Amino acid sequence: MSEKSYRDAIRDAMMEEMDRDANVLIMGEDIGVYEGTFRITAGMLKKYGPKRVIDTPIAEAGMAGTAVGMAMLGLRPIVEMMTMNFAIVAADQILNHAAKVRYFSGGQVDVPMVIRGPQGAGVQLSAQHSQTFESFYAHFPGIKVVAPATPADAKGLLKTSIRGRDPVIFLESAALYGMKGEVPDDADFTVPFGVSRIAREGSDVTIVSYSRMLQMSLIAAEKLAEEGIECEVIDLRTLRPLDLDPAYESVAKTHRCVVVQEQWKPFGAAAEIAASITENVFDELDAPVARVTGEDVPMPYARNLELLATPHEQHVIAAVKKVMYANG
Amino acid sequence: MAEIIMPKMGDAMTEGKVVRWYKKAGDAVKKGEPVLEIETDKVNLDLEAEQDGTLGDVAAEAGKMVEVGGVLATILGAGEKAQPKKEAAAAAPAAAEAPARRAIDKKDSIKHSTGEYGEAIDMKAPRVDRTSAPSSAAPASGDNGRRRSSPLARKMARELGVSIEQVQGSGPGGRIVANDIKNFKPSAAAPQKAKASSLPPVQKLETKEIPLTAMRRTIAKRLAESTGPIPHFYLTAEYDVTNLLSLREQINEIAGIKTSVNDFIVRAAALALRHHPNVNASWGDEAITQHGEIHIGIAVSTPEGLITPVVRNADQKSVTDISNEVRTLADKAKNRKLTPNDYQGSTFTISNLGAWGIEEFTAIINPPNVAILAIGAASAQPVVIDRQVVIRDRMKVTMSCDHRVVDGALGAEYLRTLRSYIEQPVRLIL
Repeated sequence: MSEKSYRDAIRDAMMEEMDRDANVLIMGEDIGVYEGTFRITAGMLKKYGPKRVIDTPIAEAGMAGTAVGMAMLGLRPIVEMMTMNFAIVAADQILNHAAKVRYFSGGQVDVPMVIRGPQGAGVQLSAQHSQTFESFYAHFPGIKVVAPATPADAKGLLKTSIRGRDPVIFLESAALYGMKGEVPDDADFTVPFGVSRIAREGSDVTIVSYSRMLQMSLIAAEKLAEEGIECEVIDLRTLRPLDLDPAYESVAKTHRCVVVQEQWKPFGAAAEIAASITENVFDELDAPVARVTGEDVPMPYARNLELLATPHEQHVIAAVKKVMYANG
Repeated sequence: MAEIIMPKMGDAMTEGKVVRWYKKAGDAVKKGEPVLEIETDKVNLDLEAEQDGTLGDVAAEAGKMVEVGGVLATILGAGEKAQPKKEAAAAAPAAAEAPARRAIDKKDSIKHSTGEYGEAIDMKAPRVDRTSAPSSAAPASGDNGRRRSSPLARKMARELGVSIEQVQGSGPGGRIVANDIKNFKPSAAAPQKAKASSLPPVQKLETKEIPLTAMRRTIAKRLAESTGPIPHFYLTAEYDVTNLLSLREQINEIAGIKTSVNDFIVRAAALALRHHPNVNASWGDEAITQHGEIHIGIAVSTPEGLITPVVRNADQKSVTDISNEVRTLADKAKNRKLTPNDYQGSTFTISNLGAWGIEEFTAIINPPNVAILAIGAASAQPVVIDRQVVIRDRMKVTMSCDHRVVDGALGAEYLRTLRSYIEQPVRLIL
């Protein structure tokens, strides 16, 4: 174990896998000479050279399409999107090609590629650059969607992504890049897909979340603990595959559930999670599953408005009290 | 001269508080320089001077609330004199729409990683929560009289055998939640329904006409054509009357009167009709009449022949009252002293040949009733209970039904309800 930042954990995962497998390469905008807008790829061009660390033009569809071709022929490309917002340009390559090739080829051709990059609000990047995309991608069969909340999970899940057979959307939280945590040093440390974890044990309310909102939920849980309310916090880690079994077990214990997501409320991940909980453990619920989400607006640039448009601990605390029928 | 006014920092803002003055009257100010700090319900802001000059009158001291648009201070240009002091609150509301001053958000200390956003988050506005039911003293029943309850509360109620209707809900809109079930004390509420066997609900008795449906007309016509004016059919049931006989003995002993088995049956039949008012009815060419009262005719044989004096509102009378009344009526019948009022208007009839040792028989319906019960003699019989042969008192009852009104299933349901009253005779005295 050593203490690493979320950012360094992502870089370590890529470099360890590039050391391990010569077929692994990375491409993206400003990732080589400039070493990445968020410094994720610092030092990689120098170590692996321009054949494996490829600076691309500003052409996300081309990057994704190139990666699909590479992957079909045996390479394991990683595409860094400067932010996941720019991957919308490449949506056809990702959703209609990467996600479909195995199916269309009758299982003959895999597309082992990773599209990774930061997403989310909180850094005053306004409406086009502050979005979150987990429900957008997780809607489609044929791809995996990963959203780690800790440095260790960032590393372990990225390594699983690179080693797998599937196209993976690896959603990083820009706001978590500087977050530090204990990360295993073992070069073969991986975290499997579809295994949620209990990030905090509690008996009163189950909070289900992932990525940055998971960390925020943990802060809310600590504040609630000061008032004597113990929340169990479930970290989903991957949205597709989605492992809700620990959430079901937890709700069977607490009988109350709050789902926290950064993205907009309509048709979001929280809607899917809340519906699944209702379907599977209906009789255990003592209150409707509550959702904490961002406001249903394009993200404002103004800092005060951005703060109002994004979910915060206070909203989680209020939701927890609401499902407990506690006033205040 | 320029005025510094209380800016409107959001639709919901009506007033703001002066936190402190950085400048005092007479101080020189430069354009863009903060003059004072204000506090709204959301944020603290500095208000800046819009022009160079000297700060004139300060209209509101630190700590004062000033409505939106109210003048906080004036900035005097070179050579300008202070105007007479204005009352800040007197400012025209129209000033609220004046262009907002540039403001600096004081509380906007941002931490991008996680949490700790401080008080900058307004928990009241503008998020709209449509999922909250009104938490005021709303009625405990939800829409359409349905009681709101959480799935867990319902599950717990099932497991604990609590009738959820008796529980007071503490959740929003009167929703019954787990805690309400946990804290529920049955004694505090109405007695729980007997668990033994559930009777169909007692229905409201009222006189009303139920128009004949096409189907009912067809059933009536076809059955009448096939079997005569009243198309009869017969249902026979055997009841265990062991408990009833023992109850009768006790009552006779305690009350010192001689009730008959038939008195119990009259009350049982009347009570059972409350659950099935459609048996307490009459056939008519245009409509079936459901009667609002239950009058039981009792077949009494006289030397002249059969007559059926009526026990009116038998469902509202005790067994002993019925017993006394029947005895009086039977005496009157034998002495030919019955008045029409004594023998007209029955809605249902009972004929009992048990005293003659008849085990079972069928009776002819007494128009305009649509059913009659033929009661046989009670006798001790070996029966199997829990795989043991035991001796129980059994009694056969045959119900004749007018098929135009009473279909087979309805007659059978009536006999099942009657069974509950006869086999659990404590229901007759409850």
